[in-house]
Amino acid sequence: MSIKLENVTKTYFTGEVETHAVKNVDLEIKDGEFIVLLGPSGSGKSTMLNIISGLDNPTSGKISIDEAVISDMNSKQLTKFRRDNLGFIFQQYNLLQTLSVKENVEVGREVSLLPFTVEEVLEQVGLSTQADKYPFQLSGGEQQRVSIARAVVKNPKIMFCDEPTGALDEEMAKEILGILQKLNEKYKTSVVLITHNPSIGAMADRIIKLNSGEVVEIIVNKNKLNASEISWG
Amino acid sequence: MLQRFLGDKMLLKNVYRTLKKQYVQLLLLGVIITLSSFIYTSMDYGIGGIYAPTEEYFEETNQEEFAIQMLDMILEDDAVFITTNCPAVIELPFSISGLKEIDSTCYYNLLENRLDLILNEYDNITIELRESKDVYFNFQGKSNRVRFLKDSSEINLSFFVAGSKPTTSDEVAITEAFALSNGLSILDTLRLDGKDYTISGFVLFPDYSLAMFSDTFIFDNETQTMGLLIDSEFESLNEKNQFEIAGVFRDGYTDKDFDKDVIDDFRHNDNLPFVSNILLTINNLRSGAIYAEIEGGRDTAMGLSIVIASIALLIVGIMVSKVLQSQRGAIGILKSMGYTNFEITVPYIFFIAILSFPAIILGYFLGVLGADPMKTLYLTIYLLPSQDVFQTVNTFAVAVVGPFIFLIVVSFIIIRRILNQKPVVLLNPPITSSSNYLTKKMHRFLAKLKITSKLQHLLLYRNMVKFFVFLIGMFYAAFLILLSFSMIGVMDRMLYDYYDNTNHNYIGYCDYLDPCETTGSQEKVIELPSAVLGDEDIYLVGLNPNSDLHQLIDKRGNNITDDLEEGLVITTSLSLISGLKVGNELLLEVGEESKIVEIIGVTEEYSGSKAYINIEELSLLLTDTSTYSNTVYSSTELSKDDYLVVVSTQSILEQAEKMQSMFNIMIYVMIFASIIIGGIIVYILTVMTIEDNFYNISLFKVMGYNNKEIDKMIIGGYLIYGIGVFLITIPVAYGMFYLMTYYMAQFYGILMPLKIELWHGGFSLIIFVVLFYLGAYVAKRKLTKISLQEAMKMYQI
Repeated sequence: MSIKLENVTKTYFTGEVETHAVKNVDLEIKDGEFIVLLGPSGSGKSTMLNIISGLDNPTSGKISIDEAVISDMNSKQLTKFRRDNLGFIFQQYNLLQTLSVKENVEVGREVSLLPFTVEEVLEQVGLSTQADKYPFQLSGGEQQRVSIARAVVKNPKIMFCDEPTGALDEEMAKEILGILQKLNEKYKTSVVLITHNPSIGAMADRIIKLNSGEVVEIIVNKNKLNASEISWG
Repeated sequence: MLQRFLGDKMLLKNVYRTLKKQYVQLLLLGVIITLSSFIYTSMDYGIGGIYAPTEEYFEETNQEEFAIQMLDMILEDDAVFITTNCPAVIELPFSISGLKEIDSTCYYNLLENRLDLILNEYDNITIELRESKDVYFNFQGKSNRVRFLKDSSEINLSFFVAGSKPTTSDEVAITEAFALSNGLSILDTLRLDGKDYTISGFVLFPDYSLAMFSDTFIFDNETQTMGLLIDSEFESLNEKNQFEIAGVFRDGYTDKDFDKDVIDDFRHNDNLPFVSNILLTINNLRSGAIYAEIEGGRDTAMGLSIVIASIALLIVGIMVSKVLQSQRGAIGILKSMGYTNFEITVPYIFFIAILSFPAIILGYFLGVLGADPMKTLYLTIYLLPSQDVFQTVNTFAVAVVGPFIFLIVVSFIIIRRILNQKPVVLLNPPITSSSNYLTKKMHRFLAKLKITSKLQHLLLYRNMVKFFVFLIGMFYAAFLILLSFSMIGVMDRMLYDYYDNTNHNYIGYCDYLDPCETTGSQEKVIELPSAVLGDEDIYLVGLNPNSDLHQLIDKRGNNITDDLEEGLVITTSLSLISGLKVGNELLLEVGEESKIVEIIGVTEEYSGSKAYINIEELSLLLTDTSTYSNTVYSSTELSKDDYLVVVSTQSILEQAEKMQSMFNIMIYVMIFASIIIGGIIVYILTVMTIEDNFYNISLFKVMGYNNKEIDKMIIGGYLIYGIGVFLITIPVAYGMFYLMTYYMAQFYGILMPLKIELWHGGFSLIIFVVLFYLGAYVAKRKLTKISLQEAMKMYQI
């Protein structure tokens, strides 16, 4: 699925103060592409991800995913769109503590039209042997793998990842990025990953740099590295 | 020091702002606390306004401690006594009451002789004859009844709450309750039995705490009153003379001794064939049961109050815990800055105190205001003296001080448990264990469910206290709703259905000396208030097996009147009270006569311990002929001139309707209270659950779950368990009602036919579901407002 942003702006109003979180962005993300949105805190990365993924509406501009214009969709249509096409991974793992690993993944599977099997996905993220454990019995990296499995099991066409390695050490972060890379390659899932860590850009097809809500640079990465090869900054 | 003070002040402000966000929950919690305090205070003071003067009143009037009922028949020994001592009596009448009409002196001598026979058998008691006559009269367009009691000299003395005793033949004393209900005052004129009487005062009798003149459940003070005349006027009344014996204990004799020595003995005592029943006052609904009623009323108030207060307390506990968890970071920082646990605790306790105390005290003062109407409500039913309601330290302590201190102590313990953690622990998000005991136990049962269905259950189990509060609260509400519905139609089943099914509109009790005469629209009947079947004291009715005016109908709706050709038909109430069944063969004793009879059927009647027998069979048992009768049933109006007493069944139906409307008020109040309490609990808990699952909800939304699905997962479990609790409550309530009915029947001999019917269950379920949706409505609105971006924020579920 390809994503197209045309002159997208997001403005927040706090009293009389206007804050332009995203300003006049034009952007296209191609089907199966691994994109890294890079920028410092406050650069508008998260707002951009929210708007692209339909979690938030732009103040102006148009966002289309393939033929669907999501900026014109109402809440019900957006819910349906997310349900059928998108997967999300956050810095916080957001796992349901009362459910086992397997059951947490099932929560994602439940709302999908053509899901993968839970077993297959757990195999892909290397958690087959941990399926019956509960989140509190897992390390941070393992918990993030469960959240990846929960997103992937839906067989999404696009995955949105908001600082997925932000709470992990280097070794675990690389493991997680490796899994995302593998899934991108195996299932041809588009990945949009936001980070403030420039090193991660080395594994992307393109790096989109943001600052003060504007796209300041788009770098096409012709020498993609494997996640394990990244030199952590 | 100033720094510390400012720190405290800031924390105070912080706690205030945190609680401010939950003002609706706090307000509703306040309603529950107020309700708890109100129920206890109003009932305690209301009953207290009756209890103290009643104690004194019973003491002063020498209330009977037992009553002895006697057969109104001339038995063999009586016949010998009359023949020997009463030369004026040429022909023996059938009844003792009849004897009074022939020779009043002989009547009193005979009864004196019976009293002596009793005293010869049993020691440590003092007894006195208690005579009464019932007069039916029309007043303000309705039929009324006055029971005149002949003034006694030793036991059950008359007591005047206003005015004075009648001193002339045209003066009467009646109950204040009847007078107030009918707009009568002292010195007003009341026309009774064709004669005008001036009301001299308002009277009470300690053996009639309820104006209940039979074993039906009618105690309506608007159409029934006790009455007192001067003795000569009483004697001149032409109505049927009724009598029994009132008694008190002497020399430290107790209920227990009496039960063993007298009650267990009299049925087998050959020297006392005329005694049909002996009843301890505490087991007598019309007199002594008031003790149990008053105590029961106070206990019920206390029980209701404790349940509601416990629910409130648990909710307060959960809320305090939630607020503290949300503030754990701030608390961790304060602790690391050197604030003591006590200093951090104070603002929380301060707010808990200032929020809960007004609710408790408001409930208390509303209770004080409600006590007087509560007392008045009691006095519309009970014939008891009262005094002004006044506040007591004890009640204040139980209603206000106790609950307040308990609430503060429990909150303090919860706060300290969290504060006792180290600052470093508090500065980090709490580590939530995945599963508690319930989750572990239930997980395996839920294994085969879809994950969304599984979540409905598991999210509820996360907080066991909250889950427990919900279950208790729903049980409480469901039980009250079912109890309310079970009371629908109680009076219909007890009386209305019975009279509605019969075709007679009038009952005439014949003069002792004139035989009953009947015309085409009438039927002869024998009614004997005192007979013994097996060990049961029963009301025996001799009925024609071909009767058209009084058909016996079984629970399937079949007419079983002609079964009387083969044996005895008993009422459902007798069957339930005594456990008698079809096929039982028992000894039927009527005075000194007896015969073995077989129970052949059960008629669907709940009015007292009654049995029907073929009239000819009963007549032959009582007399030498098969044509004796003492009562006439008629579809057309009977002339008062031809009978001792004429009773219109229409007036009984009206009384039954009046009683039912009294029950109906209780039903509406109980259903309303249940919905309020249940709705508040559902509201508070569902809102809490949504707050607890704030991030989960956001996450589900991000994943593509729609609001309906999320709503089902997060609060749908409440509906499932609510309905589950409701379904469990049905058999529990059924069992409890059975026990209540059994207790009433065994202890007081009154059958209170509480009944849960299918439509009660269905309708209660509808109320219950409506209650749930009302309670959860606002919570659902909160759910839809949660934004999708919350899932990205830092938190720990």
